[in-house]
Amino acid sequence: MASLGTFLLLASFVACSYSAVVAVVGARRGSRRLIESGIGAFYLVCALMSCASAVMINAFLTGDFSIKYVEHYSDSVQPLFYKITSYWGGLDGSIMFWVFLLSVFGSIAVWVNRERHRELIPYVVATISTVQMFFLYLMVVHRNPFTTFLTTAPSEGQGLSPLLQNFYMAIHPPSLYTGFVGMTIPFAFGIAALITGHLDDSWLRAVRRWTMFAWLFLSIGLFLGMIWAYEELGWGGYWMWDPVENAGLLPWFTATAFLHSVMVQERRSMLRVWNVMLVIITFFLTIFATFMTRSGVVQSVHAFGEDRTLAWLFTGFMVVILTFSIALVIYRLPLLKARNELDSWLSREAAFLVNNWILLFSAMFVLFGTMFPTLSEAVAGQRLTVAAPFFNKWMLPVGLILLVLTGVGPLLAWRKSTVRNLVEQFLWPTVAGLVTAAAMIALRIPLWSSGFCFALCAFVTGTLVQEFWRGGAVRRKNTGTDMLTAMIGLVGRNKRRYGGYVVHLGIVLICLGFAGNGFKRTKAFVLEVGQENTIGRYTLKNLAVKVSDDGQKQMVTGHIAVFANGKQLDTAYPAKWYYRRHEQEPTTEVAIRRTLPEDLYIVLGGYDAATQSATLEVHVNPLVDWIWLGFGILALGTGIALLPERAYSFALAKMPAGVATTAGALLACVLLGGTTLSAQPGMPGASASTQTSYFARTPLEAQLQKEIVCTCGACGHAAIGECRKDPCQVSHELRAEVAALLDQGKTHDEVIRAVIASHGGSQDMLGAPIDEGFSRLAWLFPYLLGGGGAVMIGFAAVKWSHTTKPSTETPAATESELEERIDDELRDLD
Amino acid sequence: MTHRYIKIGATVLVLGLAFTGMLWSTLREGTEYFKNIDEVIANQQEWQGKKLQLHGYVVPGTWVKNTKSLEYKFKVQNNPARHESTGGIVEASYTGILPDTFKDEAEVVLKGQFGPNGFQVEKDGVMAKCPSKYEAASKSATSGS
Repeated sequence: MASLGTFLLLASFVACSYSAVVAVVGARRGSRRLIESGIGAFYLVCALMSCASAVMINAFLTGDFSIKYVEHYSDSVQPLFYKITSYWGGLDGSIMFWVFLLSVFGSIAVWVNRERHRELIPYVVATISTVQMFFLYLMVVHRNPFTTFLTTAPSEGQGLSPLLQNFYMAIHPPSLYTGFVGMTIPFAFGIAALITGHLDDSWLRAVRRWTMFAWLFLSIGLFLGMIWAYEELGWGGYWMWDPVENAGLLPWFTATAFLHSVMVQERRSMLRVWNVMLVIITFFLTIFATFMTRSGVVQSVHAFGEDRTLAWLFTGFMVVILTFSIALVIYRLPLLKARNELDSWLSREAAFLVNNWILLFSAMFVLFGTMFPTLSEAVAGQRLTVAAPFFNKWMLPVGLILLVLTGVGPLLAWRKSTVRNLVEQFLWPTVAGLVTAAAMIALRIPLWSSGFCFALCAFVTGTLVQEFWRGGAVRRKNTGTDMLTAMIGLVGRNKRRYGGYVVHLGIVLICLGFAGNGFKRTKAFVLEVGQENTIGRYTLKNLAVKVSDDGQKQMVTGHIAVFANGKQLDTAYPAKWYYRRHEQEPTTEVAIRRTLPEDLYIVLGGYDAATQSATLEVHVNPLVDWIWLGFGILALGTGIALLPERAYSFALAKMPAGVATTAGALLACVLLGGTTLSAQPGMPGASASTQTSYFARTPLEAQLQKEIVCTCGACGHAAIGECRKDPCQVSHELRAEVAALLDQGKTHDEVIRAVIASHGGSQDMLGAPIDEGFSRLAWLFPYLLGGGGAVMIGFAAVKWSHTTKPSTETPAATESELEERIDDELRDLD
Repeated sequence: MTHRYIKIGATVLVLGLAFTGMLWSTLREGTEYFKNIDEVIANQQEWQGKKLQLHGYVVPGTWVKNTKSLEYKFKVQNNPARHESTGGIVEASYTGILPDTFKDEAEVVLKGQFGPNGFQVEKDGVMAKCPSKYEAASKSATSGS
């Protein structure tokens, strides 16, 4: 199967090169047949990559551990869902997944536009093929996901890290990749337009929808990453300005800028160079972000490992992209001249321009901050880093300015606003903002910065309500329906505009959530059983700390009663889970009590199972849930703007208002599904599948659990502490037996003898033979072998040293290292 | 026309100066030195009180926790555990919750500064690399080429 996969990748590479060359040649010679052939090869790549993906998923499902990648990111007991998502769990697979997505999106884009933009298509095909070739080249020569073990194949995989076995984390990468890869399509159309010189606004129409689509998935990807960090990492926050997080944010800024400035070009034929540049920069940043996180250039705790070859390949590719695109832009500058000038700074295009500058500034600033350690090392020789406070200090005012513009932009008229329409448009929103500000002062909430943000949120909401209300009122008068129907009709009439407003509403809610961060409270304390402590309006009481086991993992759960105003609200179950085989890496299961005003976030930091004391870190996070809600509304708004004309008019005719409700319900389902999947069971102790745990309590017990082999027959003689045929009753009983024997005060050897005696007296069930008598020979054997080998090599070295350099090799390398080297050498021979 | 260029020039100049000024002032207080232990251990006095991000590996078996509070003490060494020598060793203390990935031999970055009792880690200042997922990947990367 693995060789089939490798072959498919190679075939894709060949097809890509063919389609790139033939499409360009066809376009230059004006040969329709050559172009068609190139497009055909382009579709073929999509088919080949789909097959390769199928091979990969099949390997994961059937547990083909002879493939290194499968062995590394999966194991046989992993749930089906995570087996599939392991496809993009690592570097090699994620590159392959990238090419797969790109081939699918590219084919769709070419298919949809094959008639409308006939003159652009050959170059679109060539550009996308070139990008695919780069990634395929990476795989073929450097990181082939189908690399196999050429010597012995392991019978079991290493498994996905427990931290990543989370619903949000499983769907976060594909969403982010969809966003990243989607940005290639606008780039390809932009390049095609530049090459052909068809620089009227028609190429923009082709890419607008794609950019919106990619932007939507980028936003969802960022959102999923945030909610994962919040739920799984247990530090009470959601954004750390980590390089990996920033990488996703960079193209998001420039894509947002493009979505706004493209309107200016459509309406006023301005900013034409700017828009082409934004498309190029956005694409460049997606590649750059991948480079940053995959090559080890930037130090990050969760960046992928260092890989110099990859870094150089990426650098070369990025240099090519930048030189080629910028040279093209300069070459076409005469065609890109703006046809209009800015009439007034009090116009919508001016507001969009400022918004663009600020978004671009944000992107450059985040890029600067992220690359700062690398830059300072290159310039000053000192590795200096900047941390979250630095980013926050800068991005806070920037965010507030953007929020103001969100409100101001739509209210200004195109070309020039008069004083009269300024008053007319701004009166009520400003009043809303001022009233909120006054309320903030009355409530003694500090005006800088949270209070100010709240006031701005009120202002922007005011403008949005006003827009909807006025538009609805006009439409109601014209059509004679009720207000709600009129508003829905309004959205249908101008989906982009009103969809955009819905997105803005989402942004307001997200900002509201960010502002809530200013009122965050954190407290850490130790609670003995029965003790209480308070934070904010909550009182927490430790009822018990219980240990249980469900076969796959041991769970230490704190039972914490939550009181407010003397009444018990809830019982929270913060926990630590120790997955078998990953005992050294417990996962923190946070208990979050979600309410719209604030989240109560309880982390079990430590515990003492004997005294049942719990160390808790508790956060009260006001308004956090508004961020998630805001993202939902943002997605809904983008969905409205993206809906094809036909679908909407059909929906409007058949089921008024149904669309929005369905989309909302669907989204809610997905998110709720996520919560239930990733949420911990409410009452672990009561679950029928749990049993008493015989987790190693002492080093001696741990050692015994490693030495005694499970006899269940299904796990390939794993130690009883590691048997992965979960839930395995046999290993469980053996652990119980060991624990009971130890409780009787028996020593290591006594326990082993007793266990052997009670299971037929065979030493089969020992991971290593007992160190006595004849068994010692077995112990000695590897040493004899190793020593003999050393002597022989030394002898050979002396003998050969007369003619050649002496071999300094000693058999010190462990067997696994040796195997790996043989693997590599064999591969070089291939 | 020249009038217009003067205006634009002045605006750009003011914005540029304001930007550089702000950047300069925030960078001065916002930056932290990223150092390996061996780079600072020699002249620890000089680094006293300076904000640092210290990179190293947890010395196996050295981390202890006060059972009554969230205080931790542990040692961090310059070289990875499988290296023959440990390199410089620094004693660190921390109050708070350690990340799940923190364990013996884990690669860590500690934010904080040197105080009288060794390296004082600030709140939420422990970052530990997730070893199971990424380490082996980079190993195969170097051998695969």
